[in-house]
Amino acid sequence: MSDESQARPDPSASPPTASESRLAFNEDWAATILGLVLLVLVLVGVIPTGLVP
Amino acid sequence: MTADATRAPSEARDTDSVTATEGTSTAPATSAAAATPSEPTDGGTTSIRSGAFWGWTALGLLVVLGLAALTRYLEQNVPVFFEDTAVEDIAGAIEYPVYAILLGLLGNVLVTLLGLRDRIAAAFRTEFFIKTGLVLLGASINLSVIASAAGPAIAQAILLISGVFLFTWWLAGRFGLDDKLRALLAAAVSICGVSAAIAAAGAVRARREQLAYTASLVILFALPSIFILPWLADVFGLEDAVAGAWIGGNIDTTAAVTAAGALAGEEALQIASIVKVTQNALMGVVAVALTAYFTLRVERQPGAARPGLGEVWRRFPKFVLGFVAASVIATWYLDGAGADGKAVIGVVNDLRVWFLILAFVSIGLEFRVASLREAGWRPVAVFASATVFNLLLALGLASLLFRGFDG
Repeated sequence: MSDESQARPDPSASPPTASESRLAFNEDWAATILGLVLLVLVLVGVIPTGLVP
Repeated sequence: MTADATRAPSEARDTDSVTATEGTSTAPATSAAAATPSEPTDGGTTSIRSGAFWGWTALGLLVVLGLAALTRYLEQNVPVFFEDTAVEDIAGAIEYPVYAILLGLLGNVLVTLLGLRDRIAAAFRTEFFIKTGLVLLGASINLSVIASAAGPAIAQAILLISGVFLFTWWLAGRFGLDDKLRALLAAAVSICGVSAAIAAAGAVRARREQLAYTASLVILFALPSIFILPWLADVFGLEDAVAGAWIGGNIDTTAAVTAAGALAGEEALQIASIVKVTQNALMGVVAVALTAYFTLRVERQPGAARPGLGEVWRRFPKFVLGFVAASVIATWYLDGAGADGKAVIGVVNDLRVWFLILAFVSIGLEFRVASLREAGWRPVAVFASATVFNLLLALGLASLLFRGFDG
């Protein structure tokens, strides 16, 4: 492989981009919950027609 | 996620002892002199947030919201301003993605000149905004359309991801790029841009600057695609469904797919979204395959366990479930609500447009060319070649699988 010259990472250490990955998964859930909550609020009339510009 | 990735260069300067960008012999070192005044937010310090951080983030959110409000104002009023003038048709044809991205780029220049950009960048949450918008978009798509499009969308996604990933991996190898950068570029071009690059970065333990660089490439290529693909679809005379499938299968980042789909029309937007969401759903599978390949073959960690189904679920983009759930809820609601229901779903559509505008403004705000300059020309050449390959393969597959589609 072409990356033989690079240092082998410590298997026990977190990947240097692990925080981005964790944040991405959390954002997935946050977006899902927010989207569905907004949908329900509109359907039950808490956010009425004409309120959103 | 895009925001995370494009914030990464400043984080890398603060924290990584990297002397050259991997895989690019021409890449200069990232120097301490280039460090920005932004707070270090690397993986080890993300839990430590000062009051100043939240203050700057709140300011950034105000900037995003202000530009989004201006976008909405221009979208609704420019056609009125230019009524009965020579440019009436042009003014009426400009859609909100155009205003949002241009205002975002303009805002980017302004906050950079004011030295605020890196301080407020935590508010540029493109992926969060776009995913919320896509969940809301699910409410405007009848479940039967998703069911009808699922077969060809899955077929296209599997063929496209396999073909484009392997082509990019092979080409990047021919150009002598590092395996990790190869994985990031191949995942970004073949699956769904920055999201896939982040998933791949976690899988192959890539460096922050590689992720930031890949994210910048995705945005660099996605911005013109937003305008060129709908135009080409019109020039080629593609059916709406084929145009949507082409856009969804070709443009890397989900936000840009939605922007291009919106420019191409409502049906094209729906099909483009379904195709892109399907590709997103396959991201977990590719991420797990990459994890297994790098753990067992490239880095050969002794005793490493093979990733299982739990890992697939952990890496699965959960907003896909929200997209389908919104469609189920709205379809059920419309069946019972009758004519009044459409006005109610119209409110959901307005909310969806707001979130998409927030995402497009963020795309403009977070775009940066600095990390592209640092990495040299070879990854750019690989990404450009892979994009052309993707363009042609996606056009062929979309024409084959979505011709005569009737949702």
